[in-house]
Amino acid sequence: MGTEVFSTEFWKAVAPEAILVIGLVLIFVVPNLGNSKFRIPLTKVQIPWFLGGRRFKFTGSPAIPGMLAAATLFTALGMMVIETIDGKMDTTTVTSGETVLLQIDAFSRFFEIIFLAAILLAVMASLDRIPANTFEGKKTLDELYDNRRQADLYILMLTTAVGMCMVALAQDLFVLFVGLELASLATYVLVAFHKESKAGAEAGVKYFIVGSVASGIGLYGLSLLYLEYGSLQLDVLASDWDGSILATIGLGLVLVGFGFKVSAAPFHFAAPDAYAGANSPVAGILATASKAMGMIGLVRVLLVVALPDVDSDGSAIWLYTLATLSVVTMTWGNLAALGSTNPKRMLAYSSVAHAGYMMAALTAVGAWKWGEIEAPVEYAHAIVAAVLFHLFVLVAFKLGAFLVLGLLEMEGGASRLSALSGLARRDPLIGTAMFVFMLSLAGVPPLAGFMSKFLVVSGIVSASIGDLSGSVSFSDLHWIWWLALAMFINSAISVFYYLRIGVVMFLDVPEEGRRKPLPYGASIRMAIWICLVATIIIGLSGDTLIDMCYRAAESLNLG
Amino acid sequence: MSETGIIDYAVLIPLLPMLAFPVILFLGKIFNGTPGWVKNAKEGGIIALTVMGASLVLTLLLIKEHLHHIGSTNVFTWFESSWWNPGADVAITTKVFGFGIHIDHLTVMLLFVAAFLCFLINVFSIGYMNTDPINDNRNHRFYAEFVLFCSGMLGMVLADSFLWLFIFWELMGLCSYLLIGFYWERPSASYAAKKAFLTTRVGDVFLIIGLVMLWNLFDGHLDYAYVFDPVNIAAVNSGDLQIALGMMFIGAVGKSAQFPLHVWLPDAMEGPTPVSALIHAATMVNAGLYLVARMFPFFSGAELGALSTLAIIIACIGGITAVMAALIAFVQMDLKKVLAYSTMSQLAYIFTGLGSALWFANNGHDDLAAFAMGASLFHLFNHAMAKGMLFMASGSVIHEMHHAHHEVAHHDDDHHDDHFDAQSMENMGGLASRMPITATAMFVGSMSIIGIPFIGGFWSKEGIISSAWQVALKEPIFLLPALLILIGAGMTGFYMSRMWFMTFAGKPKTEVAEKVHEQTAWIPIPLVTLTVMTLGAVVLAGMHAGNWLGNFETGHYSNFFDGFGTEIEHVFLNHDPFLMILTYVAIGLSLVLGPSFAMALYGGSLDGGKKAKPWMQWAINLSAKVNKNSNFDNSKWANSSLSDSLHKRLHFDAIYDAAVMKIVVGFANLSAMFDSKVIDGAIKTIESTSQNASRKIRSLTTGSARDYIMMAALGTLAIFILLWGVA
Repeated sequence: MGTEVFSTEFWKAVAPEAILVIGLVLIFVVPNLGNSKFRIPLTKVQIPWFLGGRRFKFTGSPAIPGMLAAATLFTALGMMVIETIDGKMDTTTVTSGETVLLQIDAFSRFFEIIFLAAILLAVMASLDRIPANTFEGKKTLDELYDNRRQADLYILMLTTAVGMCMVALAQDLFVLFVGLELASLATYVLVAFHKESKAGAEAGVKYFIVGSVASGIGLYGLSLLYLEYGSLQLDVLASDWDGSILATIGLGLVLVGFGFKVSAAPFHFAAPDAYAGANSPVAGILATASKAMGMIGLVRVLLVVALPDVDSDGSAIWLYTLATLSVVTMTWGNLAALGSTNPKRMLAYSSVAHAGYMMAALTAVGAWKWGEIEAPVEYAHAIVAAVLFHLFVLVAFKLGAFLVLGLLEMEGGASRLSALSGLARRDPLIGTAMFVFMLSLAGVPPLAGFMSKFLVVSGIVSASIGDLSGSVSFSDLHWIWWLALAMFINSAISVFYYLRIGVVMFLDVPEEGRRKPLPYGASIRMAIWICLVATIIIGLSGDTLIDMCYRAAESLNLG
Repeated sequence: MSETGIIDYAVLIPLLPMLAFPVILFLGKIFNGTPGWVKNAKEGGIIALTVMGASLVLTLLLIKEHLHHIGSTNVFTWFESSWWNPGADVAITTKVFGFGIHIDHLTVMLLFVAAFLCFLINVFSIGYMNTDPINDNRNHRFYAEFVLFCSGMLGMVLADSFLWLFIFWELMGLCSYLLIGFYWERPSASYAAKKAFLTTRVGDVFLIIGLVMLWNLFDGHLDYAYVFDPVNIAAVNSGDLQIALGMMFIGAVGKSAQFPLHVWLPDAMEGPTPVSALIHAATMVNAGLYLVARMFPFFSGAELGALSTLAIIIACIGGITAVMAALIAFVQMDLKKVLAYSTMSQLAYIFTGLGSALWFANNGHDDLAAFAMGASLFHLFNHAMAKGMLFMASGSVIHEMHHAHHEVAHHDDDHHDDHFDAQSMENMGGLASRMPITATAMFVGSMSIIGIPFIGGFWSKEGIISSAWQVALKEPIFLLPALLILIGAGMTGFYMSRMWFMTFAGKPKTEVAEKVHEQTAWIPIPLVTLTVMTLGAVVLAGMHAGNWLGNFETGHYSNFFDGFGTEIEHVFLNHDPFLMILTYVAIGLSLVLGPSFAMALYGGSLDGGKKAKPWMQWAINLSAKVNKNSNFDNSKWANSSLSDSLHKRLHFDAIYDAAVMKIVVGFANLSAMFDSKVIDGAIKTIESTSQNASRKIRSLTTGSARDYIMMAALGTLAIFILLWGVA
């Protein structure tokens, strides 16, 4: 039995999210604290009102919003980690009357950890990337702009966090959609945050337009599903799912909506523009947290709702669709990245390719002839765990790569490959970190990226073998085996452009104007180190994380 | 059985040096030439020293622990894959990807030798490499490759499966190539590096074949726990097993430079001297011995007598190499080359000993097998200590000769001679008084290699010779290796004495040799340490190293004071008259006959009333006396065709070179053509095709939001068609 909304248990269960909201409010309020007084009309009594007027010196400091955001995210993240780390995570359902709205379980908490970790790292990077200039004296126009916009930036980041958490918790597709839009709208603005730069503004608008179209299509799909089943509750949809025509059309439209979020081809077009135009930390959020958010949607709709029952035979209705999408996406992403000379676009395309890999894994779940296999649910859990693992480690090395670019942006743009020239010579440690991120993206053992690719590929391969035993011939394998092969070939292609970054960093001569040491930036460097350490440690000993992923996958009610 | 304790950290022993490899390389790249890097970090030497020291400390702790928990294993899991094997009975199976550690006496012995010597050679290198101007700005490369090499050996010894053994084996192969070719700008060095790499490669190919066969025989297992299980060995066809092990043995022959794959070892002297010490004493050549010794459980587990042929082959290869290498060593003038051939010869002894042990094991004589195995391992230990010391001492001589040559050439321009060979013994002589520490080290080292009673190698060499003869009593074919190594003992006495007397006794043969004196810091440390270790072998002998080491899992050492008497009795007053006579024949050959000839030919007192240290002076006096009183004239020998072919290393190199030129180079050209035309062509095609595709695909990204929406609409349509097709 679930917990009613706004009951005491509810607040206990959603405490981390509540903290996010409180932090959000504080960022609104604190910088505006001042000595203003409110005069009661018709009297001369003035009551201190504190909002507005001359700002207090301490609270008015432009550095405050960033600190508040970091502290809020850190607290919420810490609470979630403590809650989940021992593996005895209770499942709490939040209901409103008969309607199940949210569910707090290992799966949703896992995703929330991904979101908050990514955003926290991005916030840490932004503290240096868009610095608050607290010192006295004359400031340049840019610095004044930066100071004015401190609160805006972190409000948007925290809004994104709240929206994403809502998506993770949602048990009703409508709630999920609201969360998705909340987060999306915030990210659209974040992309265009540097409105002085033409690229940023243009990218933001484009991202907004295409994103709105995709959301609209997705919403239309939801409405069709509602029309067919009279509910958007996940459990209702899952139990009623029959693959009728209306529902199938609805599913296809919803797929478009989420496909845009994970940047699956051909819905990915705005993504490279957005990444290239946005601040690197923001691009990092888009490539990791935002993608994970879209992946939640896919998992909920494809695996929870539209999967045949365990005891029925036949594979999922979306099997061929997703397989095609995944192969097109990974190939498109890799080929486009191959010729890309803008490191941010290259990373964007690489992130498209990674979306393809993850969709290939989801396809493998749908390929089961449910009911003919001995322990299908365990296999499905293993594959979903591989996807979760992949999403988690992306935060380490993809975001890390974006943060290195962010560090470069502090001394100028990072939109050309030559910006990275000689980085290893200028700052050996940062250069090495970037190289490790590239190796990990390419899937070189023993880094985290290898492990995630290995888990995904081995999941697909074992799904294609099924429970055939003895000597298995090729013709006996399920055709999803080809997805593993496609992934393999694509990985081989991708090595080319990942290693090119290494070549540029280690062998090329730094370009004009980039001869001096890199700017210092304590907190962005710390964020990069965290990513680096995570990339290496998870690669060497990922047991704890794999267990966590597995538990998260198990708490998902498949089929 | 999984133990806890130091063994939990044992993986650090190879891991630390491995991690130091990129660190040193990287820091060296950045800080090269800065005073802090040169003075304080010794161009990476200090970093290398730190990790090797840490590895050594861990090794010692591990050994201490091992003496109480014999036969322990431990697995360091990298990750477990829980769904790789769905075809099995249980739907979800677990496969562990990790690095397992297996510890027994064999591991411990090799581990100690490797860790200890690598550490000392590292100390030596700091003195040797960093003061040589030719190494300016590239010593970080040396230290980086050095630690990687050590990591290869340490990892190989610790590994718990033949697969990991092979991986580390190849790592060493790579590093040996890099280090031998350290002076790559010299054609001879790059030639030697290629030669070493390719020759060992021949062996490695066979090793792979052997491992694949083994993998097939044992149902996809290469881990010791499975393949050494007597139940599993019994289930295997011993004929097939013998072929598989034979293939692996060829790998060992290549790595340990035995006939007929021995040609790379003398040329490997082209590397810097610490590398010679590393390859010859601490690591590479021991790897082959280790592999053969590891095969022991197969021999004791297989059918009685089924693997005898292989054991005999191993021993015969050993016997042939022992004599052949000793013969070639007779005529070498290069100080390091003499030592190189002596390495080959001594390793051959160990192979013969291992052959005996394996023969005994396969024929049910467990006690004798353990004794022979123990003697072989003990000899490995003694040889490693002595040879490490000899190489470092020779390095010390060469180094000081260089210095002296620079001084001489500097003072007097007429003397400047670019062709001066600092390694040739013809330019030395009379160094005993000028380099007392080095001379002492070489003196003790040579005695250990010769097998002078009570010193180092004596204890183990007797064991090997007597084991081989004991097999020969039961198996007539074994007479060949047994006889050969007995003769070899006398020959060792000759060439080692020759080397010492030519270098250290008599009068200086050149002006340079007169000016030599010991002056380089760091170098004496390992020399003194190893002198003590070599003399200290008597302690191990007293602890019955022979019997104790041979039982990998169960052997237990005895108290020195209890054991020493028995050991003496066993060696000198054996109750078996045959063995006793054998001992005295061997002693006679190696102590009296060989050195006497050497003294007669090369002995002589020091110049100008100079005195060496008393423990060497007697030998110099004796040699002068023998030299004066004998009219032994070897000119007939020296001008014979045998001597000529010995100078040409018995033509092996010429024949191999010719074969290589004709066959291998032709084939290589063919492969190069295939590589450039077919493979490169294919890759270039793929590359240009994908770049074209990339251009096309990116041209779809127009930058206009309208087009993006258009594409999304097309995608939606495609989704409908696909869904429709299924529904």
